[in-house]
Amino acid sequence: MSRAVMTPAEAARREDLRQRSFTLTPPEGVTVRFDVASLASRMGAQILDILISFGVVLALMIPLALSPLSIGPVAGILFALLTLFIRAPYYILSELFWNGRTLGKRILRLRVISADGRGLTTHAVVMRNLMKEVEVFMPGTMLLAAQMMGVVWQVTLLIWVVVLLAVPFLNRHRQRIGDILAHTLVVSEPRSVLLSDLAETEPADRFVFTEAHLGHYGRFELQTLETFLRAHPLQGAPQTVHPSVVALAAQIRKKIDFEDPVPEADALIFLHAFYRAQRAFLERKKLYGDVREDKHHSEPP
Amino acid sequence: MTDAVQIKSTRFRAQRQADWQALEALVDKAEARGPAGLTLEEAQTLARLYRKAATSLATAREISLDRGLLLYLESLVERAFLAVYAPQETLSGVVSGFFSRSGPRAMRASLMALLLSAGAMLLGGFIAWMLYFQDNTWYHTFVPADLAAGRGPGATTQYLRDGLFDGPESFVASLAVFAAYLFSHNTRVALFGFALGVFACVPGFLLLFYNGLMIGSFAALYADRDLGYELFGWLSVHGVTELSAIIIAGAGGFRMGFAVLFPGALSRRDALRVAGRDAVKLAMIAVLMLLAAGLLEGFARQLITSTEIRLAVGWGIGALWLAWFALAGRRTA
Repeated sequence: MSRAVMTPAEAARREDLRQRSFTLTPPEGVTVRFDVASLASRMGAQILDILISFGVVLALMIPLALSPLSIGPVAGILFALLTLFIRAPYYILSELFWNGRTLGKRILRLRVISADGRGLTTHAVVMRNLMKEVEVFMPGTMLLAAQMMGVVWQVTLLIWVVVLLAVPFLNRHRQRIGDILAHTLVVSEPRSVLLSDLAETEPADRFVFTEAHLGHYGRFELQTLETFLRAHPLQGAPQTVHPSVVALAAQIRKKIDFEDPVPEADALIFLHAFYRAQRAFLERKKLYGDVREDKHHSEPP
Repeated sequence: MTDAVQIKSTRFRAQRQADWQALEALVDKAEARGPAGLTLEEAQTLARLYRKAATSLATAREISLDRGLLLYLESLVERAFLAVYAPQETLSGVVSGFFSRSGPRAMRASLMALLLSAGAMLLGGFIAWMLYFQDNTWYHTFVPADLAAGRGPGATTQYLRDGLFDGPESFVASLAVFAAYLFSHNTRVALFGFALGVFACVPGFLLLFYNGLMIGSFAALYADRDLGYELFGWLSVHGVTELSAIIIAGAGGFRMGFAVLFPGALSRRDALRVAGRDAVKLAMIAVLMLLAAGLLEGFARQLITSTEIRLAVGWGIGALWLAWFALAGRRTA
C-alpha cells in the first residue's frame, strides 16, 4: 500500500486546519483560537436583525396610523424614514453596548471581535455598520427597484452585488468589506464546559504498564481514547460490557504486547488504567522535550 | 506504581479548578448584565482571575494532554478576555466625543480631500455654465428629465419663478418633501461619493463633477432669465448645507481613494484602515448635514419667501457649520 493513504492523525490534522479559526493574541500574550462563524449563520443573524428592526418600525407605525393625524398619503415615506433612523443606530448601539452582539447574533450565538487582540472600539463598530448600509441595504433596496432602472445601472448593480458577495468567500476569516476596513471579524461564541478529569483516580492496581508498553502511542491516540472513555465512564458503567470496549481493549493489548490476561468483564477498567498510565508517561516525555504527536513518532520522516 | 500519587497534570488542575470556576461564574454574570453589571470588587476579581486563567492555559498546553481540560481553559480564557476588554463607552460619551473632538478634528485633517472634492464640483459647475451660454440644449444633456420636472430652456419665466416661491401647504406635505428629499438624488450622490472613493478616487470624482454640471446648468438657466439672484436665495436655504454635505462625503471617499493610490510605507489594507478612521467621521458629518438640509428644504424654504432672509438663513447656518469644523476640539484634552 502506498503512503498516499492518510493516517487517521493526518486526516484529523487536515480537518482541523480546514475548520476556519482565528488566532487572537490578547495583551496577556497567551494566544487563543476562535472559531470563525459560518456565513450561513451570519446570514441567519442578519435576517433576524432585519425582522427585528422592521418589527420595531411597524410597532411605531401602527399607533401613528390609528391616531387622528392622517398619515395615509405619506405612510410609505414615513416607513422609509423610520427604517433609516432605527436601522443603523440599532446595529451600532447594540454591538457597542452588548460587546459585539446584536439580538440576531445573540440568538445564533455569534459575536463580533476585534482582530487586533484588543477590545472593540466605537470606530470599528461604526465603520462596519456604516459599510453595511452601503454593502447590504443599499443594493438590497435597489434590487427591489431594479426593473425601473436602465440597463447600465442594472449591470452596475449586478457587478456590485457579485463583488460584495464574493469578498467574504475569498478571504480566510470570512470578513466582508466592512469587517476588513474595521479590522473585525465574526466568530462563534465560545462555550465552556468543564469535563471531569479521567485520570483523577487510579481505577485498579491490577494492571501494571512498563515503559515498553507505553512507548507505542502518541498524543493523537491518547486523546482519541479520551473521547471514547468520556462516552464510557467508569462510574455508573452498565453491568454488561459494551462490545466496542472489549474490542478496543483487545486491540490495545495486542498492539502494546500486554501479556497479563484481561477478562472481558474488566475491559473498561483496563482501558481507564491504560489511559491514565499512558497520559502520565506522555506528559512526562513532553516535559522533557520528547513530544510524541501520534503513533508514528519514532518512524523516520 | 504508587497509587496515592496523582499524575502531575491532575494535581495542577485540582489546585486551580476553584479559581477557574469562580472566573466562569463572573464571566457568566458579565455576559448576562454587561460590564456595568459587576461591582468594582467583582470587576477587579474578574481581571485578576482572567490573568491567572491565561497563565494556567499557557502552562496546561505544556504539561497536560487532557483534551477536555485544554478546550475548557481555552474557551474560558476567550470568554474572560471578551468580558475584560469589553467596550466601556457610554452613549453620552460617544456622542459628546464625536461632536466636541473627533468629528471636527477629522475635518481639519482632511483639508486636501475637501479641497479636491469641492474643486471637482466647482469645475463641473463652471463647465456647464460656459456650455449653456454657448448652446442651451446642453441643459438636456446634463439634467435628467425627472429631476428637471419641466424646468428647462423651454419653460416660461413665470413657471420658473413660481417654482421658487410656491410650497407645500401643510405639515404632512412638508414631511413628504423632507422624506422625498432624503431618498432623492443628493443622498444617493453622497453615499455613492463616499463608497466609490475607495476605487481609487476616479468614480467619486466623476460623480461630484457630474453633480456640479447639473447645478451649473440650473444656475445658467435661471441666470439667463434674470432669476439668478432668486435662485441663489432659493438654493442657499438648504443648498449651502446640502452641497457641503456632498462635498464632505466625497472627501471621505477621496481619503480612502488616496490610501489605495498612495499607501506609503503601509500595506494598502492598513492604509485604508488608517484613512478609514477619518473617512467614517466625514461620512457621519455628511449624514448629519443631509438631515439638516432635508429639514431646511422641507420646512424652512417654503415658509421663508423673501430672498434676503433665505440668504441670511442659508449662509448663517453655513457659518455655524464652518465654526464647528474650525474651532471645536482644538484644545488637547
